[in-house]
Amino acid sequence: MSRPDWIVLALTLSGIIAYGLYKGRATKDLDGYFLSNRTVPWYMVLLGVMGTQASAVTFLSAPGQAYTDGMRFVQYYFGLPLAMIVVCVSFAPVFHRLKVYTAYEFLERRFDLKTRTLTSLLFLLQRGLSTGISIAAPSIILSSLLGWNLLWTTIFMGGLLIVYTVSGGAKAVAYTQQLQMIVIFSGLIIAGYVVIHRLPPGVGMTDVLHIGGKSGKLNIITTGFEGKRGGFDWNDRYNLLSGVIGGFFLALSYFGTDQSQVGRYLTARSLRESRLGLLMNGLVKVPMQFAILLLGVMVFAFYHFNREPVFFNQSQLKLLAHSKFKDSLAAVTSKYDALENERVELVGDSTGTRHAALASATGIGGNGILRLEDIDREKAAIKATIRRWLDDKTVGGDSNDTNYIFLRFVTDYLPAGLVGLLIAVIFLAAWGSIAATLNSLASCTIVDFHRRFAPGGMAQQKEYRLSQLYTLFWGIFCVAVAQLTYRLGNSLIEAVNVLGSLFYGVILGVFLVAFYRKRVGGHAVFISAVVTETGVIVLNILSRKGLVPLSFLWFNVVGAVGVVVLSEVLQSLPGGKKRRASGPAV
Amino acid sequence: MDENDMDKEGAPLFGKWGYWYLLVIGFLLFCILVFDFLTKHFS
Repeated sequence: MSRPDWIVLALTLSGIIAYGLYKGRATKDLDGYFLSNRTVPWYMVLLGVMGTQASAVTFLSAPGQAYTDGMRFVQYYFGLPLAMIVVCVSFAPVFHRLKVYTAYEFLERRFDLKTRTLTSLLFLLQRGLSTGISIAAPSIILSSLLGWNLLWTTIFMGGLLIVYTVSGGAKAVAYTQQLQMIVIFSGLIIAGYVVIHRLPPGVGMTDVLHIGGKSGKLNIITTGFEGKRGGFDWNDRYNLLSGVIGGFFLALSYFGTDQSQVGRYLTARSLRESRLGLLMNGLVKVPMQFAILLLGVMVFAFYHFNREPVFFNQSQLKLLAHSKFKDSLAAVTSKYDALENERVELVGDSTGTRHAALASATGIGGNGILRLEDIDREKAAIKATIRRWLDDKTVGGDSNDTNYIFLRFVTDYLPAGLVGLLIAVIFLAAWGSIAATLNSLASCTIVDFHRRFAPGGMAQQKEYRLSQLYTLFWGIFCVAVAQLTYRLGNSLIEAVNVLGSLFYGVILGVFLVAFYRKRVGGHAVFISAVVTETGVIVLNILSRKGLVPLSFLWFNVVGAVGVVVLSEVLQSLPGGKKRRASGPAV
Repeated sequence: MDENDMDKEGAPLFGKWGYWYLLVIGFLLFCILVFDFLTKHFS
């Protein structure tokens, strides 16, 4: 990075920290620390829930995903708008009415202590680990792409935000998220403008769409029936059906039962403001994700006219250069370079006019076009060979470079200053998400455990100080998990990603029973949750072994429906009816 | 605002949740149609 990049990065990050400290300076009690004294307007709720959901990897991997797999990932969000209405109608008013700090607090009032403790514990376990990954993943990418020290990158990624999160709590989180989202959107819009600006003269957005479309990147709508002989592919992650149904259950459990999100809209100054923020989130999320994915297609079109790296993660090529594949690597990269030179020359020849450029992009006629197709096939074979080498046990590399595509483009082609801004975008995206989660982890620890189980009451000032200490503890814990991730590698990232989808459905099921099945009591729902959770874990094992073809999004549906149905059955048993009759009421 | 008032509070902007359901389903259908057009037109 150049000096202007460092200046922009340092100013942006220190500005956010200073703003967070300033805004959170008046916080002195638990209500202020976890609920921002319920003073936040709807548009800050909107930016807060968006900032919490969108981590650094969202902005790194989404353009890369469109580049490699196409834009069908946007379907993952189709269930979200409907889920927002259900959260507004059923979840938010109950949380507001009962004036709870955590979503799980409500479960004790509705069911019993063990159900509350179980769900809160599942949240702490899953969120604590996944936040560590949220710190590790972008740190690895930045350190390998920019040659930064991994430890320091991790400390900057997960440590600096602790300063304002510990100090100012929810208020600092809310105000910094507002500023962070403004910087993030500005950075992405500027990056999009630069991509278009750097395309050859006469090539515009319509041509980008043609290039993306003809290369299979504009597969925005897929039905799940494309691959298999007429049947629905249950293993396909992103299609219309899994997006609407699976995405609905996932979004409902995330926004309705995950404290990192519930904590955001509980800070609103009224129920109306909470609801408005959530509803607007439902309306902007799909177009926003579409725009981020489109950026990936634009980068793809850019590399149609420019030399595309053989592998976007340069550090992995260096790893291969010191392995037994050293000589073979030199041979294939030299062949790849020759192919790229020839390809860019061919495309360059045909870009004299806009229509010729389109012809080259879309594969219409001409010997040159046939040669381009040959080159693309040879390039794909070389890339596959490099991936195979990286997967070799003696190398132990990472054969997936999807998350490096966008940032590699940024560092290679964006002007000085803007590179710093885009790196700042990655930091801020991480901070927004992590800060909100640390605040929610601390609120669950003190409200659902410390305050609930510690004998006697605590003075307000002591509770506040303790909350700060818990926030600090979770911050250090997450940075430590990030460090552990580097030792264990991709297996931990994968495990934690699966962990979320394993628990979410069951937790949602417990809340659905709480809201919609009034006759069901604590014992029935608790046993159902434990049994269904075991079933989902078994299903996951069978799915990973290829015995049950089911994508992870469907686990949310299975978990939620399983708890609702089983608890209803258990409650119908003679013993269950008696227990409910003497159970607590909300 | 007491608890009962909060329960009676209608949907923001339109007063009734039915309008929000209509708006969101219409919006989703619109997005799906536009995306499907882009998928087919540029493939």
